[in-house]
Amino acid sequence: MLQTVVDFRQLLGERRTVKLLWFHLMPYPELPEDFNRKHRSVWVDVDPALFDPEVMAACYERYIDQLVFAEQCGFDGICINEHHGNGYGLMPSPNVIGSVLASRTTRAAITVLGNSVALYDPPIRVAEEMAMLDLLSHGRLISGFPVGTSMDTAYAYSVNPASLRQKYREGVDLVLKAWTATEPFAFNGRFTQMRYVNVLPRPLQRPHPPIWIPGGGSVETWDYCSTNDYVYGALSYYGHLMAKETVGGYWRTVEENGKDANPYRLAFLQFIGVADTDRDAYRLYKEPAEYFFNRSLHVYPGYADAPGYLTEASARARFASRVRATVRAKQARHDLTWDEMLEKGYVVIGSPDTVRETLEDVAKTFNCGHLLTMLQFGNMSDELTRHNSKLFGEMVAPGLRGLFADAEDHWWPTNAVAA
Amino acid sequence: MSGAAPVAADGATLVYLPGIAGHPASSPALDALGDAGWHVVVPRIPGLDGRSGFWAPDDYLGWLAVVWDALDATGALPCPVVGASLGGMLAADLAVFRPEAVTASVLLAPFGIFDESHPGLDLYAVPTAERMGHLFAKGVPEPFVERFAELGPEDGPVARYLCDAAAASLLWPLGDRGHAGRLHRLTCPALALWGELDELLPVATSQAWADRGVPVEVVAGAGHLLEWDEPDGVAGRLVEFLASVIR
Repeated sequence: MLQTVVDFRQLLGERRTVKLLWFHLMPYPELPEDFNRKHRSVWVDVDPALFDPEVMAACYERYIDQLVFAEQCGFDGICINEHHGNGYGLMPSPNVIGSVLASRTTRAAITVLGNSVALYDPPIRVAEEMAMLDLLSHGRLISGFPVGTSMDTAYAYSVNPASLRQKYREGVDLVLKAWTATEPFAFNGRFTQMRYVNVLPRPLQRPHPPIWIPGGGSVETWDYCSTNDYVYGALSYYGHLMAKETVGGYWRTVEENGKDANPYRLAFLQFIGVADTDRDAYRLYKEPAEYFFNRSLHVYPGYADAPGYLTEASARARFASRVRATVRAKQARHDLTWDEMLEKGYVVIGSPDTVRETLEDVAKTFNCGHLLTMLQFGNMSDELTRHNSKLFGEMVAPGLRGLFADAEDHWWPTNAVAA
Repeated sequence: MSGAAPVAADGATLVYLPGIAGHPASSPALDALGDAGWHVVVPRIPGLDGRSGFWAPDDYLGWLAVVWDALDATGALPCPVVGASLGGMLAADLAVFRPEAVTASVLLAPFGIFDESHPGLDLYAVPTAERMGHLFAKGVPEPFVERFAELGPEDGPVARYLCDAAAASLLWPLGDRGHAGRLHRLTCPALALWGELDELLPVATSQAWADRGVPVEVVAGAGHLLEWDEPDGVAGRLVEFLASVIR
C-alpha cells in the first residue's frame, strides 16, 4: 500500500537531535582461524574456495534481519556500503540490499554509503538506482558517494588510479545534474559523453536525497565536502583516537571555506560493544573484534595504495603523518591483540554507562551529529549482535539524544523519522 | 648476444625514452653509447620526473601528446629512438604514428601487448618498498635504491610516489595499449631486446612482437630493465644494430 508522503520534520523535530545509525559491512564470518598466516589478503586475490555460497545465503538473510531489527531498536538510520572481491564486506551491490530494506522498514533512513560512482559507466546507472531506492523507501534515502578504496577501484575494478578521482567527481556532478535537470541534456565530460541524459524516475526528495561522502582522510575530500555542503563521513576502522587527526583536518577545512560548524556536517564511525558490565563486554567482544581486525581487515599492503590513488597533496600529508604510518604498520602486521585494540580506541566497549560516556565525549569533541555505530563486526553471532544493538538502543541512545539540539540537520532525508 | 666493438657514430643523435621507474641517472649502457660516438638525448617526460604539480592525462592518447611534446622540444627528431619498458611502448607508437620522426626503433622489453598466458608480475601489486627489486636480475643499481633522494626526506618520497603514479597511469591495468593491432605499421628498422629473467614481461611474451615483424633477441641473465643489468651487452648490440641500419 502506498504510504502517504509526509514531511515529519516539523512535527517531530528530528532535525535537532544527534542521529544514531546502525552500520553493517556484511562480512564473511567463516574465514579460517589461520587465515592471516596462510593467505596474503582478504581482498582482491582472496581464494574463492574459502567462500561457501550456502553460508553467505544464510548470512544475507541474517544480516538483513539485523538491519531491520536495528530500526526496531530505535536507530535513526541503517547503513550499507559497497565493496568488491573480498571477504571483508560481501555487498558488491548495496542497492540490492537497500531495496529489500526499503520494503521491510518504515522509518529509518536508508543510508547507502554508498555507490562508488567512478566504477559505473555511464554513472547515470547510479542516479537511476538511487532514485528507485528513494521512491521505494518513500523519501528515506541518504545517497553516499565514496571514491572507493584502492582495493575496490584500482584492483577489483581496474580503474586507472590516476584518473579515478576526476572520474568520480565528474560522475557525481552528472548524477546530481541528472536528478535535477528540468529537461533532457547532453553531457560532454572528460570521462563520460552522452547525447541524451534523461534519468527516470527521479528521486522523491527534492531537489535530491542528502549527499554524504565517506572518506578515509584525503584532504581533497574535506574540501570537496565543505565546499559543496555535503556530509563528510570519517570512516576509519581505527576508532576515535586515531580519527582525531582526520576530524580535526576536516573541521579546519570547513572553517577555511567559511562554512559554519554545524555538527551535522560530520558523520563518524565507531566499533562498539555494549554489555551489562565492563567485564562482560571485555569477554564478549574479544573474538569478533580479533576476527575483524586480524582476518576481515587482512589486506595485503600491495593493494592498499595503488600509485596515483592519492593526490599529491594527500600523499604529502600521508608521508608527513606519523600517526598514519603507525596505523599502517599495525595494519600490515595483522596480529593486533585485544588489549591493543581497546587501548587505542579501535573498539569502544563496556557497560551502557561506560559506552555512553565515551561516545558523548567523542561526539562533543568531534562536534559530530551523525554517529555511525558498528555493532556487528567480524564473526559476531546473531545473538550477540542483537544483544549489543538492543542494549545500545535502550540504555545508551537515550543518554545521547539531547546532543546538538541547538543545530539543525540539513542533511537528513525528508521522510526518515528519528526515534 | 653480440659484444661487437662500438662503431663510431660521429656525434649522431639518438633519443632514449626511459622505463617504468623513470630516469634517475644515466645508465652505464647510455654512457657506452656516448663512448661510441652517439649523442644521447633523454627527454624530460612530465610525471616521470617526479616534479610537483603534474596531473596525468585522462587517457593514453593524452599521454602520447604529452610525450610527443617533450620529444619535439628536444629538437632531436628525426633520429633513432631507443625505448625501455614503458618507454619502449611509447617509442613503438612514435614509429607507428609518426614514421617520419623515427629512423630506427630499438625496444627494450616494451609494454604494449599483454599476454594472458604469461601475465608476469603485477608490479603495482607489490608494496612500494619492494618494487625496485623486481625490475633487475642483478641487484638494484644505486640510482634506483632511493630515487629522488637529493630532494630531501620530505620531497623525495613524494617525488618517488609521483613518478610511480605517472608510470602506472600509462600502464594501468595491464600495460596493453593495443599495439598488437598496429605494429604492422612500424616500418622503420626495428629490434627488440628482452631480458631472459624479466619478471614483469616474461620473455615468452616477446613472441607477440616477433609475430608482428619486430625481431626479438633475448639478453641472458637480464631482468626487465635490461640495459642496467647487462650494460655492455645491450650497448654493444645497440651500436651494432644502429650502425647496420643508419647510413
